[in-house]
Amino acid sequence: MQNTIKVERAILGITQDELAKKIGVSRQTINSIEANRYVPSTVLALKLSAIFNKPVNDFFRLTDQD
Amino acid sequence: MGTEKFVEYERKRLNKIASLRLPNQFMIIGVMVVAISIITMMLRAFALEGDTQWLKLLLQKTLLVGLLLMSLSKDKIEDEMTIGLRSQSYAIAFIIGVIYALVMPYVEYGVSNVVHSGGESYKDLGDFQVLLFMLMIQLLFYHTLKRYR
Repeated sequence: MQNTIKVERAILGITQDELAKKIGVSRQTINSIEANRYVPSTVLALKLSAIFNKPVNDFFRLTDQD
Repeated sequence: MGTEKFVEYERKRLNKIASLRLPNQFMIIGVMVVAISIITMMLRAFALEGDTQWLKLLLQKTLLVGLLLMSLSKDKIEDEMTIGLRSQSYAIAFIIGVIYALVMPYVEYGVSNVVHSGGESYKDLGDFQVLLFMLMIQLLFYHTLKRYR
């Protein structure tokens, strides 16, 4: 699974810490998601979708390994 | 009560038990209990005289309680990732704990007999030793996994 959360966050002009506070997780969790080390749950993905105002498919993409 | 309601009630109860966590303040309480237990253990070993076996057993229990409080206390920001890491650390601690309980008595027996000929006889580990090891492994792995997440 790959994602473009870093790009979406840059478009909104918010820091990892601000995004983390908006969806109720730690900054390290956002960092791990952005680095593709952690795949978030559906709930978290939908919270991100609400923040970015885009469907989940727009910023999460399956890779060949998935 | 209908079957479905009963199953739903049981499911909720199991989920509640599985997600049992203490508030973050219990981490400090746990650390204090552990520290006091260790200091008192040292005092008992080096300063106190007489039959203090009961104190040793009591301190072993308080040490385990302190570590359990540390293990069960939530992080300041507890999210799905830390919950996942915590579950991983419990699984690792369980597996390593079982291997330790199986292997360690033979290691102790072997080492003892190599160092002194006709050393100690074979004996199983006590519950305190196994539980202490498992709780320490759990805490160590949890904080290490969190650091490298």
